[in-house]
Amino acid sequence: MTSKPFHDLSKAYRMELAHAYTTDLKVWDLPVRIMHWILAIAIGVCWWTGANHQLEYHFYSGYVILWTVLMRLYWGLVGSSTARFSNFVRGPKAIVNYASALHRRDTPPSHGHNALGAIAIIIMLGLVLTVVILGLFSVDVDGFYSGALSSYVTFEQGRHLAHLHQKWLDVLLWVIALHIAAVFFYFIYKQQNLVGPMLSGKRPGDGGEAEMKIAPLSRFAIGGVIAAALVWAVSNGFYF
Amino acid sequence: MSSSGFRIAVAAVCAGFSLWAMEAAAGPPEVAQVKSRQDKFRDMGGALKAIVDELRKQTVDWDNIVAPNAQTIKDRSGYLINWFPKGTGPEGGVKTHALPAIWQTNDDFVRLGKTAEAEAVKLNQAALGKDRNALRAQAEAMSKACKACHDSYRSPERDNDE
Ligand code: HEC
Ligand code: HEM
Repeated sequence: MTSKPFHDLSKAYRMELAHAYTTDLKVWDLPVRIMHWILAIAIGVCWWTGANHQLEYHFYSGYVILWTVLMRLYWGLVGSSTARFSNFVRGPKAIVNYASALHRRDTPPSHGHNALGAIAIIIMLGLVLTVVILGLFSVDVDGFYSGALSSYVTFEQGRHLAHLHQKWLDVLLWVIALHIAAVFFYFIYKQQNLVGPMLSGKRPGDGGEAEMKIAPLSRFAIGGVIAAALVWAVSNGFYF
Repeated sequence: MSSSGFRIAVAAVCAGFSLWAMEAAAGPPEVAQVKSRQDKFRDMGGALKAIVDELRKQTVDWDNIVAPNAQTIKDRSGYLINWFPKGTGPEGGVKTHALPAIWQTNDDFVRLGKTAEAEAVKLNQAALGKDRNALRAQAEAMSKACKACHDSYRSPERDNDE
């Protein structure tokens, strides 16, 4: 086997892998999946209501996003193994290694976020938080529908923050576009379906791989109540 | 570069800068008109914001905050349709969010201006009435009157200014 074409090799390898995939492995727990789809929907709602100046619903949806991002950060510290930052944020070497194998079709699926995806996750969470915080201080042109914390800035400052709110949203939307493009890339080029696991929580694998460690839902509930209280306080501008 | 070439380059840069400075300092009267109306609009926006901010707090400062700001809005809204003489739209190259439609469907523009003026009178009454719920309801009605005009006659802020 001197000059066998590369794609043949990888095809054979993939078939081999497919045979080895005998069980379903849990990869995403329920909170991670729910938070992911809440973010996807609520960011869409905020985008649409913002662009069409329906600011009342824009704010409700913004609070949902704020709660979800806070919870995702919390779950990144104390959640199930695949949700934890300590498990998926890799160093530069691992990232370069992963990126240099990106063109290959025979790489096994990552358990949880891959090294590059992890970067996108961190950037997206940071940008969403930035956009939400800027929104909270934004002032609408007529001064009425303004962010819950806008009473702490002047009219002109609030207008300026509203512009930044839009500018950073643009950046966020580009990163989201890249994130979706990457999912397509995995589906078409690497023939790995990443959407299915984000819905069902499971991916095909073999019994030899490590299962994820699931954190108790009660822990999520406790954080959820605290985050809700915080969002409620923010929505009242901390005036009690 | 030869020394005369250098001198020409310096002169060209100086001339460029002074042209730019002149343009920035003294514009046609339309520029001043637009700047002045935008300032006044910002005062109105700031006044409505001050009232809304006050409504968020436990206690409303009726005399020092609500009443004077409601007065500002009422005074200004009585005049705002006069801030748009012909030639102060974007067609003259002036930096403005005023849309050409102001002069094309001027009757409608004036009607919206009058509606806002009427709402501002009611806002002033609510400010003097010192009833929190009534003030909140009227502040919202006021902002709807502002928004109704902005939706049709003010271009959204995107990719330009600030
Ligand atoms: C009849 C139409 C009309 C009404 C009513 C109206 N506006 Fe405006 N407003 C405009 C137009 C047109 C502009 C754009 C002016 C420009 O850019 O030259 C504008 C601009 C503004 C601006 C932006 C100024 C800037 O910084 O460039 C603010 C703030 C504003 N309006 C506040 C208000 C508030 C508050 C009310 C109600 C109390 C109100 N407007 C009612 C037509 C209206
Ligand atoms: C609690 C959270 C949020 C608050 C309080 C808030 C507040 C605001 C305010 C006051 C405006 C009006 C600014 C203006 O008139 O220029 C605005 C506009 C907008 N916001 Fe938000 N926002 C929040 C979250 C978000 C999020 C998460 C997104 C993105 C998905 C978003 C997207 C937009 C868009 C697209 C606009 C429209 C800008 C335009 O008029 O062109 N907002 N927001």
